[in-house]
Amino acid sequence: MVRWRSETGPAAHILIRISKVRVNTQAVLKRAQQIQSMKTPKKQWQAAWLLKAVTCIDLTTLAGDDTPSNVHRLCLKAIQPVRYDLLKSMDMHDKGVTTGAVCVYPSRVADAVKTLKAANSSLPVASVATGFPAGQTPLETRLQEVRMAVDDGATEIDIVINRMLAITGQWEAMYDEICQFREACGDAHMKTILAIGELGTFTNVYKASLVSMMAGSDFIKTSTGKEAVNATYPVAIVMVRAIRDYFLSTGHKVGFKPAGGIRTAKESLVWLTLIKEELGNDWLCPHLFRLGASSLLADIERQVGPHTKKKHNKRESLIYHHLL
Amino acid sequence: MAGSTSRTVQDIFHTMEFGPAGTSSPDTAQAWLDHQDHSLGLFIDGRFVRPSDGRAQVQLELKGGVTCTIVCTAEAELSICTSSSVSAFKSWSALSCSQRAKVLLRLSGALVQHGQCLCELCDLSHAPCSAPSLIRLVQYYSSWAQLRDSLMPQWTPLGVVAVVLSDDCSFYSLMVKVLPALAMGNSVIVIPGRSTAPAALLFAQLFMGVGPPAGVLNVLTGNDITLGARVAQSESINYMSYSGNKQCASVVCRATAGVGVPVSVSVTVGSICPFVIFETADVDSAVDAVIEAAFKKNKEVRWQLFVQDSVVDSVVARLQLRLTSMKCVSVCADADRLQVDAAVQEAQQQGATLLQSCTAPPSGLQYPPTVLCGVAPSSPCVVTPPPGPLLPLMTFRSNAEAVTLGNHSPHGQAASIWTEDLTLALETAKSLSVGVVWVNSHSVSDPCLPLSGHKDSGTCTDGGQQGLYQFLRPSSSSSTPLPRSVPVSMDYTTFGGGAPLPIIPDQSDVSSSPQSFLQFVGGKACKSESGCSVAVRPPGGGGVLAYCPDGGRKDVRNAVEAALKVQPGWMKKSPSARAQTLYALAKGLESKRRDLAVSINSQTGVSMEEAEKEVELSVSRLNEWAAFCHQVQGGGALPLPQSGSALSLPEPLGVIGMLLPDRKPLLSTLTVLGAAVATGNAVVMVPSQSYPLPILTFIQVLQSSDLPAGLVNIITGNKDQLTAALANHSVIKAIWYWGSAQGCQYLQHTCTSPLKTLSLFCQKETEGPEGGLDWTRSEPTFMEELWRKAVQWKSVWIPTA
Repeated sequence: MVRWRSETGPAAHILIRISKVRVNTQAVLKRAQQIQSMKTPKKQWQAAWLLKAVTCIDLTTLAGDDTPSNVHRLCLKAIQPVRYDLLKSMDMHDKGVTTGAVCVYPSRVADAVKTLKAANSSLPVASVATGFPAGQTPLETRLQEVRMAVDDGATEIDIVINRMLAITGQWEAMYDEICQFREACGDAHMKTILAIGELGTFTNVYKASLVSMMAGSDFIKTSTGKEAVNATYPVAIVMVRAIRDYFLSTGHKVGFKPAGGIRTAKESLVWLTLIKEELGNDWLCPHLFRLGASSLLADIERQVGPHTKKKHNKRESLIYHHLL
Repeated sequence: MAGSTSRTVQDIFHTMEFGPAGTSSPDTAQAWLDHQDHSLGLFIDGRFVRPSDGRAQVQLELKGGVTCTIVCTAEAELSICTSSSVSAFKSWSALSCSQRAKVLLRLSGALVQHGQCLCELCDLSHAPCSAPSLIRLVQYYSSWAQLRDSLMPQWTPLGVVAVVLSDDCSFYSLMVKVLPALAMGNSVIVIPGRSTAPAALLFAQLFMGVGPPAGVLNVLTGNDITLGARVAQSESINYMSYSGNKQCASVVCRATAGVGVPVSVSVTVGSICPFVIFETADVDSAVDAVIEAAFKKNKEVRWQLFVQDSVVDSVVARLQLRLTSMKCVSVCADADRLQVDAAVQEAQQQGATLLQSCTAPPSGLQYPPTVLCGVAPSSPCVVTPPPGPLLPLMTFRSNAEAVTLGNHSPHGQAASIWTEDLTLALETAKSLSVGVVWVNSHSVSDPCLPLSGHKDSGTCTDGGQQGLYQFLRPSSSSSTPLPRSVPVSMDYTTFGGGAPLPIIPDQSDVSSSPQSFLQFVGGKACKSESGCSVAVRPPGGGGVLAYCPDGGRKDVRNAVEAALKVQPGWMKKSPSARAQTLYALAKGLESKRRDLAVSINSQTGVSMEEAEKEVELSVSRLNEWAAFCHQVQGGGALPLPQSGSALSLPEPLGVIGMLLPDRKPLLSTLTVLGAAVATGNAVVMVPSQSYPLPILTFIQVLQSSDLPAGLVNIITGNKDQLTAALANHSVIKAIWYWGSAQGCQYLQHTCTSPLKTLSLFCQKETEGPEGGLDWTRSEPTFMEELWRKAVQWKSVWIPTA
């Protein structure tokens, strides 16, 4: 909730900061390759890391055919993402292993809140808003959407930025718009979706990240999952570097949420490695890191298990692959 | 390891630590060592030779407690080896280009198969090397083997080449010399260091397996670097190339002085390299890169970080953040640890602050990666960096200051510069005196990127097409410039210090008193600093033809000072501007043709007709160089496998000292003068001691020319004395010497610190004015060879996405 404050007003500061941003594409790509080629954890390290990944998942359904019934199933899955006996075998059954949140469309927020309340869970409900995924609706309706989702009980709002403003370099206007969303969110956490697939360059991604954080975002998020290019490692490196930059200059930690196309347990391990390498262990928790995904959990479930019986378990847990 | 297996999932879930590093066991390398009974022989004439006389062997301590022994080569094996190399050279060089290329292609196939074993062996010997890079090297040079005759038709291999390495040199540096030498048709004797011996032996075995003539690649091992000098003493070695650290380079150069083998040096280990971050850089990427470069385990160079004032805070903040997650690095020995401690303490006393992941453990062989902030270029830890994970950080204000600081160290191997500003990047790349500049990247090596050490980092170019020429000579030059000789025992400190020759005034004929000539320093005709003169004898001796100044150390100093002032400006002039000046000089020469012919005639005793011919040839030679300068640039874009742009640029050496030949005094002088000046160098020339008059007459032409004052300097006097003065001047980058075998030996012995590029031509006193090089030649390789001697190469690598 910390915002960029200064005597000269935000605009001047933003423009100065933004004008100094420089990103070298090939160096970022090289770094991404380096991180991808790092050895992923094995045995009990793998199990622990995968459980950590589970706790960071925003379990998501964003489909036109969402109904109360599949949202209900989703919420129950989010509360108990990994089989109890598996958790018990690792002595993790009483450590509150749930996903980070569930994430639905605004119209389904009420359903999700109802299910979670009935199950006596305090799991946050996140809602996408502001004309998701294109953001091409009038500002007033986008603001209204945020307010209604919050009223329905969403405690986290995933907003999309107005790409037109970013691409045309109207950073002040973008800052003002996000500030208004921030206000509409009230106490709810705000995750700002940059839709990196539509920003053109890494430099623009970095600039959009900085502006979003200055305007008070609690998280910055790669993409809606609906663009052609979604969460890629190089783009993530650019965004987390912006987060580090913002942390170094303000002392405020902003979270990071990659979303779109993250499907395998192996990928989730690379994501955790990336965060650990670039931002450090502080960011490896659901308060500062989320993985937006719908089918990732099923794959992690297949891999998690007593590390000693890895092969056997793979087959066994397939049976427990719930239909979401 | 014992503690790590007891970690529970719950613990790890909280700490989110990385698991224990997986250790791949070097099974295949072990198996090979087992097969060799852990005692490696010499590799001579296609097979392993193990001496049976039970002489002492050298024990190598490899990683993980593995040991093996290597043999100390004895004289008998040395001579078997060299005769094997000589006969192998005959059959290998007789093969066609495509036959040699095929052998090398088969070698790359063998490396695909056995590369893992080779790399494990390198890794065991603390000199890691990646298999793909080796395969790429072999493939690259097999294509050069194929193309030698079509792209370099007038060039031919040297013969037997010895490649010598210091103990700490990497296997890649060895291959960068061995493979081009083989590809060009030479046979090679490798004298590896301790870290490369096992891998070199295995490599030789693999190479023999693909069917070249036996003996094309022989490997001799020994106790220390002096084996290299012993090999050089063998009659049949034609060229020696060294790679490794500077200390051993000096030892090799001194030990081989006077045996008549040209030696070139690549200082690949221990060079200090600048890492420059401008305010226009992608600071995050730059910080990641500097950490990777400066604190990696087996680094061959020492980095120094230079950061522009305006971004130093953000660089330091990021460094601090990145360092916290880093583990301690092991130092090699207790002595090293003491040096590190002493250096850090001293730096702290001078006000430096430390950035570390943790405070250093009080003793032991572990030390945390440390950045020393607030040191100065004069700080001891910057001048002589201790062997440990230390990175000095210094700041600069302007772009020009960055270049000055980057050029401060005596080394000139490489630099990494970071900026998103392309113009700034290219300008900086041009001004840094280093062999390779990596823009927004670091430590990129590829066989097509020439690596050429500038300043104290070497005297030859490895890699690329440029790197092939050290293993070639023009087919037309029949005699080797440096004949074999036996080094004489001489006192290097008193060389050239003899008393001046007394001038006997010849008072018999006052009316024809000999003329007194002046020398030419800094654009002015002047007397020598000492004020003394020496007599110039007419041909056949007897009497005094003229007097010329007796120049010495002080004259050389003045000349170099003047040359240094104008050379940067001359170098920056466009080639066409340089060409116009040379054309004008040729014209000036033509207008004085009569005077010059007379001076040649009276000095050397050749007929007027012949003297006029020499002047004529000199004029056309200068015109040729002017044209050459106009049209030939060399270098260009390189085809690296990665995406980006690589440039290879020829650059002048700087100030060249020349001790000119006796033969064809005017023509030879203008040929080498043209080569040096056309490429942008300044020269300090010493005319032939016996025949200086034509050059002294030529001073009139220089005076009326529009060459910048100081670009060409002419000093006369005692040759040995001036040789010593040039050899001991630290600014002179290269010396071209025509003179006695003793002079050659003196230069080889003396020009090691700082390193100078030597081109030595031994001219026998008995030859008189008609022996040695034929200066009237005009085939293209003759000019090209001189041109290549006058330039050094710089590679610039700009990676793009």
